Amino acid sequence: MPKLRAIGIVGETTLTLLILILIGLIALDIVIQVTCCLYHRGGSQTTAAQGQVSIRLTGSGSTFIYPQMREWISRFQAENPTISIIYNPTGSGTGQSQLLKEHVVDFACSDPPLSHKQYEEYKGKVLQMPVIVGAIAVIYKIPGYRGPLNLTADAIAKIYLGKIKYWDDPEIARLNPRARLPHVVIKVIHRSDASGTTEVFTFFLHKAAPSVWPTNLVGKAIEWPVDSTGRGLGAKGNQGVAEYFKRLDSAIAYVELGYALENNFPIAAIRNAAGYFVKPSSETMQAAIANALRSGLLPSTPLADWSNALNAIIYAPGKDSYPIVSFSFMITWTRYPHAKAEALKKFIKFINTIGQEDIIEGYAPIPPELRSINLKALSIIQGS
Amino acid sequence: MTAKPMYRSDKLLYYSLLPFAAIVIAAFIMLFVVLGYVSAPALHRYGIGLFTTTKWAPNEANPSKSVYGLLAPLFGTLVSSVIAVLLALPVTVSVVLVIEEYAPERLRELIGSVIEVMAGLPTIVYGLWGLEVLAPFLREHIYSPLHQLLGFIPLFSCKPITGFNLATAGVLLSIMILPYMVAVARDAYRSIPFTYKEAALAIGATRYEYAKIMMGLAKPGIIAAALLGFGRAAGETVAVALVVGNVPLVSSCLFKPAYTISSLIANQFSMAPLYPYMMSVLFTGGLVLLLIGMAANTVAVIMITRARKRLG
Repeated sequence: MPKLRAIGIVGETTLTLLILILIGLIALDIVIQVTCCLYHRGGSQTTAAQGQVSIRLTGSGSTFIYPQMREWISRFQAENPTISIIYNPTGSGTGQSQLLKEHVVDFACSDPPLSHKQYEEYKGKVLQMPVIVGAIAVIYKIPGYRGPLNLTADAIAKIYLGKIKYWDDPEIARLNPRARLPHVVIKVIHRSDASGTTEVFTFFLHKAAPSVWPTNLVGKAIEWPVDSTGRGLGAKGNQGVAEYFKRLDSAIAYVELGYALENNFPIAAIRNAAGYFVKPSSETMQAAIANALRSGLLPSTPLADWSNALNAIIYAPGKDSYPIVSFSFMITWTRYPHAKAEALKKFIKFINTIGQEDIIEGYAPIPPELRSINLKALSIIQGS
Repeated sequence: MTAKPMYRSDKLLYYSLLPFAAIVIAAFIMLFVVLGYVSAPALHRYGIGLFTTTKWAPNEANPSKSVYGLLAPLFGTLVSSVIAVLLALPVTVSVVLVIEEYAPERLRELIGSVIEVMAGLPTIVYGLWGLEVLAPFLREHIYSPLHQLLGFIPLFSCKPITGFNLATAGVLLSIMILPYMVAVARDAYRSIPFTYKEAALAIGATRYEYAKIMMGLAKPGIIAAALLGFGRAAGETVAVALVVGNVPLVSSCLFKPAYTISSLIANQFSMAPLYPYMMSVLFTGGLVLLLIGMAANTVAVIMITRARKRLG
């Protein structure tokens, strides 16, 4: 290519390289443009299929609610063949941001409600509905002991602080006078990823034992004091925690109830606000919600600020209330294109009526009072 | 690089292939640009502090109080990768010598294909094996005796409470990078011109002396293999996240749980949008990984090229 060399200064190879880069960037840009537009097209509401108009709703978010959501969707679609719903368990945080900031999904599910700050930002434009009740189980494995175990927030907090090191610590022994606990080191497992489970768990510790577990240790991801002793282990997701737990001979961990039941892990009874030791079950979970409702701490419309809901249901009054419970919220906009609005309303109605009748093991249905609060959404959501 | 004059058909082919080749380079540049662009806010806000604190304490209620430190993951990445290379290096040298010089044809083929299979296994398989078999085994039969016998050395000074720690991550990584290191080192060994081998044998070198001379000649290639292995180890994610313990600790003892940059990203990514700077911090981690990998690769490539030139 003698002509090119005539340009001087830049050599042939440099020139080729520059051209290469330029062409590449253009090509890449085209690829990105095309894929993005196709994607957005795919996300739009109506596609003609066999002469029938079908509506597609997409959601993403909480992995916690995923098994139940899958169940709901398959039953709902069987009844409404023209509506197709896709739910992607990306995690609560991603779900929130995909709905509110990126606008790529039609609804989101999130274990924590919108924070107060976020709520202020989207006030009047978003709806939040608690659609399912979950519980967090504290699971334990003690070498040579297979009996029941009673724990208080105080004891659990001290274990996660690293202050209680052995199973036969006087504090644990006092709660379990009949158990013969060994002098064995407790290995402490916690979540390594930021998670709603951790938030609920640490919130409980703080609410029930504020003098031991300070407020700066409450959150989705915290700096675990026990880690500095070398006895702490972090694992990703409930699954990861369960995997570590299975392989240790002496350990304590917190997981969603479903994982504890599925793996047959021993579950500790936790002392509730009324002073009773309670194990998580559908009844004790519902008792907690019912008692929280009675105390009047929960909002009465999906338009309200639910950021304080955790405070109401965790460590709730009542002798049957399991103290570490949580909600999973469905978050939607108040306005949609007409067809989508109708489809979404149908789905919301389904979830809050028939959907509550058969709930997967490890979760509990929401009480009737909450269902009627959620159903207010039907008159709030507007199609345009 | 003077190109031969091109015929019309050659030119056509050349220009039609050019865009595809260009995509590779462009993708790489985009990667850099995007990583740099997204990391900028975190670097701007936390500056060097990102690499000097071990604390990882995101604060949702009060984002300005969030503290993100990459020191512990960076430390974990570097230490586990160094352990991996140190363990894999002697094995690599032995394997190359055995299959190139000593082993009979069939054994050589067997070892060769086993290594190929190892290279192709999905990393999650290594991870699960590490979780299930390696971690408990090492704790029981290696760490505990090491701690009891050599506990006065800081590296082994803490009690191996679980098998999920920095040492296990290093051992698992060493197994994972072995196939790559063997492949590179073997190539280097093979590229030693036959005349050198003949010369060594002709002056009456014993097998041992011969191997020593050959290793000397293949040395740059083997060092390159180690560097490439290091790069791979630093970037490995899934398997490490399963065995490293995921705890942000910087400790002189290898039996404590730790973190690595890639497992930090894997762990934190899904919730990162909830915290203002976390995504940016994670991208900074990614950028650091990219730089570590690039540095290792560049040095390795330079060494290989030099070695080739020297051997002619």
